Amino acid sequence: MASGLDAFVNHTVSIITSDGRNFIGTLKGFDQTINIIIDESHERVYSTTTGIEQVMLGLHIIRGDNVAIIGLIDEDVDNRLNLANIKAEPLNAVVH
Amino acid sequence: MASSGDKNKNSQNGDQKEKKRKESILDLSKYLEKTIRVKFAGGREASGVLKGYDPLLNLVLDNTIEYLRDADDPYKLTEDTRELGLVVCRGTSVVLICPMDGMESIQNPFVTQD
Amino acid sequence: MLPLSLLRTAQNHPMLVELKNGETYNGHLVSCDNWMNINLREVICTSRDGDKFWRMPECYIRGSTIKYLRIPDEVIDMVKEETIVKNRGRGDMKSGRGGGQGGQNQRNRPAARGNFGGGRGGGKAGGQGGRNPPFQKQKPKQ
Repeated sequence: MASGLDAFVNHTVSIITSDGRNFIGTLKGFDQTINIIIDESHERVYSTTTGIEQVMLGLHIIRGDNVAIIGLIDEDVDNRLNLANIKAEPLNAVVH
Repeated sequence: MASSGDKNKNSQNGDQKEKKRKESILDLSKYLEKTIRVKFAGGREASGVLKGYDPLLNLVLDNTIEYLRDADDPYKLTEDTRELGLVVCRGTSVVLICPMDGMESIQNPFVTQD
Repeated sequence: MLPLSLLRTAQNHPMLVELKNGETYNGHLVSCDNWMNINLREVICTSRDGDKFWRMPECYIRGSTIKYLRIPDEVIDMVKEETIVKNRGRGDMKSGRGGGQGGQNQRNRPAARGNFGGGRGGGKAGGQGGRNPPFQKQKPKQ
């Protein structure tokens, strides 16, 4: 199927869900409704007062309805980030 | 799960998935004449005695009680209830079904709350 | 790997389900279907604010209301994929299903995690374990 997600399988991806959360993990699979399997995942919680907090989560199925953006992560760049020093406004939920 | 013969039969007609699983994973007959709790899309919740149902999850409940919600937060229940009596619940808006028997409010069971 | 294959494999395992309304349900997966509707047993429901808790012996959840499911890590190593051939206008459904069953017969063969990567890169060795990249044309089993 021409979703283009095939190229991301077994790579680290960043998923932004429609409730405004950000999950990072290894894309293990997906289907035609963009239900997503991510393994060894964590959530990045953004805050304007403290640095980015990472919450370890593990294996996840995210339902496609809830997926807004899937991005490929450049691990070299990502590893160079000092998340503790990055402050950012949390995303709002998508308004339906 | 379906037997292998079953699988072959299904795959032959080239139709996708559903054939072998058209049977619902939810057997509502076990709840007939029992009180069930139903949550709806949008946040309403009710309980009542299950009198009837169909495969689309349309339900007939009797002696139904609706659990009223906080005026400011449509997902926050209050202690208030109202009696609805005999109702038909539209299947498409049913989000969750569970038996009232054995359902109880409890203290935080998680050692560390996240 | 298909999300619903993973979910099927997770039957009888504990999991956490978050609904779109923010409630979370912790329980053991009893059954699921192709719409992601699920039955859980021995459930603990947590309210959206995390301040109220209910125990339920069992519950049924409509798939379309699910936001995500957290599944025990080890389950991904247990997935034996039935090759799902969607209406692709191809007549090889039979061999496709057969391939899936071959995988099931080898259920006891431990699938090392590395196999997943190997299956994709190298093909055959990983494929032997029952894993077939979802969109690759099906090869007959052995």
